[in-house]
Amino acid sequence: MRQTDIPSRNRKGAVPISRRRWLLASAAIPASCLWGAERLNLSVAWDGDDLHVAAPLLHFLAGKPLDRLRDGAAVVFLTQLTLTTDNFTTSLRRTPERFVFSYDLWEERFSVTKLGEGQRTVSHLSAVAAEAWCLDNVAISSTGLPQDRPFWLRFELRAAEPKDEAAVLGESGLNLTRLIEMFSRRPRDRQPQWTADAGPLRLGDLKRLVGRAARAL
Amino acid sequence: MRFAWLASILWSSLLLAGTPEQDMNVNTRYTVESVDIAGDNPTGISTGLRGELTRLVGAKLNPAALDDLATRIRQELHVRAVTHRLLRGQTPEHVRVVFDVRGTPAKFEASVPKLVYRSDGGTSGLAEGTATVGSQAFTFGGVSDGDDLAERYTGIIARYEDKHLASDRVWFRVDFESYHEQWSQATVNALDQQGAESDTPGIYRTRQNIEPLVTFELLRGASGRVNLTVGTSFERFQTQFPAARTESANAMVTTLRYHRRVEGSDANQQEWDAGYSLRAATNLLGSDFAYARHQGDVHYAYSWGRSQILDDLTAGAITGQAPLFERFIVGNSTMLRGWNRFELDPLGGNRVVANTLEYRYRLLDVFYDSGAIWDQGQTAILRHSVGVGVRQNGMYAALAFPIREGHIEPVFMVGMNY
Repeated sequence: MRQTDIPSRNRKGAVPISRRRWLLASAAIPASCLWGAERLNLSVAWDGDDLHVAAPLLHFLAGKPLDRLRDGAAVVFLTQLTLTTDNFTTSLRRTPERFVFSYDLWEERFSVTKLGEGQRTVSHLSAVAAEAWCLDNVAISSTGLPQDRPFWLRFELRAAEPKDEAAVLGESGLNLTRLIEMFSRRPRDRQPQWTADAGPLRLGDLKRLVGRAARAL
Repeated sequence: MRFAWLASILWSSLLLAGTPEQDMNVNTRYTVESVDIAGDNPTGISTGLRGELTRLVGAKLNPAALDDLATRIRQELHVRAVTHRLLRGQTPEHVRVVFDVRGTPAKFEASVPKLVYRSDGGTSGLAEGTATVGSQAFTFGGVSDGDDLAERYTGIIARYEDKHLASDRVWFRVDFESYHEQWSQATVNALDQQGAESDTPGIYRTRQNIEPLVTFELLRGASGRVNLTVGTSFERFQTQFPAARTESANAMVTTLRYHRRVEGSDANQQEWDAGYSLRAATNLLGSDFAYARHQGDVHYAYSWGRSQILDDLTAGAITGQAPLFERFIVGNSTMLRGWNRFELDPLGGNRVVANTLEYRYRLLDVFYDSGAIWDQGQTAILRHSVGVGVRQNGMYAALAFPIREGHIEPVFMVGMNY
């Protein structure tokens, strides 16, 4: 596991906003977005290889997931970027990612780990910084996409179910009572999720980031 | 290529297994200061489980262990949910663990404790519903099992259980079973070949059993747990040939079990479980059969990190003439996997030795089985098999290969809690 070195200003509570995020925010392409019930802007930028997204107004460390984090639990957030060239009739490419958040009870700061290949962890982050780091580490390849071809991008994010509530299967086998409870659960009891669409976009119209180096910010 | 799809599933499962999120919890560096239980029904937890909760104090926080204990509290209290949360301790770098018990005890729960499909033997399963009133539980269910015995038995089960008979160290239960039997043609042919002079009793079409048992917890503590179960089994069955008549195999039942789990200093864990059981049928109980069935088993597991090594050893012997349901079998979904039990011995044997060695890493499970089944006076032939599978939350899928010369037909098994 590689521990990312966090600048000292982050530990003092300042919100770390990367150069790429400033670029994304300032050069935002107006997009048609829907975050839950709110309309928000999804910013899309291109570094020559990958497409990156940013949503400064999205704050998913809230509500039940935040309660679970403050109770000392690790909470998994699942993200997925979908690239399509036909307004989501068929998908050209998908990149699912998993992030594990936890909240240090004594330091009152967040820790985030991106799972999978090239697993990375950052710690001592504020809530906003932790959310920003998560989105900074979500990207989808633009390989094979002509610069003048219109495309659409969908970003999905949701908190995974806590383990206890998902324990339909256990040492005592399949618990049918719990299975019925799970399917009977009201939508508002489920974990929050967000979806945002952007498009039609063209690579040529996007503000270009500083190549691959941008990803290391 | 026939099992290429299974290999794909195994490989995908390993990729999807990922890293347990508990390891990523930044609070694992803190020490547990205290453990509390709060909520609707905090009383009624067994002394043994309370001891395990107490042992968390002073150790580094282990969220996986908290999940495990929350599940056990929920099972003991029969409540809807048990969650855990952390609070800052009084001392820096320490945390308090609070288990929240939510919901009143469930009055009724339906579950499927066992379900397994074998590519060479069909599906076996048990479904049951349990109504709980205080320390007493009433269970009723249906079963069809072609995996445990030489026969496939299908029917109903019922059980009454009291986990607090005078004290929480004495339990009482009565099991009732009523089955209709189906026999493999291989078993019928084997009986025909043996003829009328055979020592092996014939097949039967129905079977009923009533079995009252009392369990005493003799020892409970850091050195382990020892349980002694005594009771009687009143089993009767209707024979099929040469004429339909009812016979009985009434037996005294005794089981002694030892269990111990030791947590190491570096998240290592060792677990021992051993048992010996005796079923002694005697004419004094009005039995038509007189026999003694001895069975012993030892289970050992060593876990470190995400790896686990397990070994299961089973041995048994029957003296006297026992009905077919008492005879041992191997080549099922737990012992000598990959072999077909009807190929090994369609009638089962009155001697058995079997061992299973497994290595598990995350979801991956590789195993090596060996064992022999034979009748007294015969020569035991040791057989071997190997296999690979994936296991998660009691769900298990595996492909087992018998080690032998000639054509090898692997056996695919999938299910849970088998």
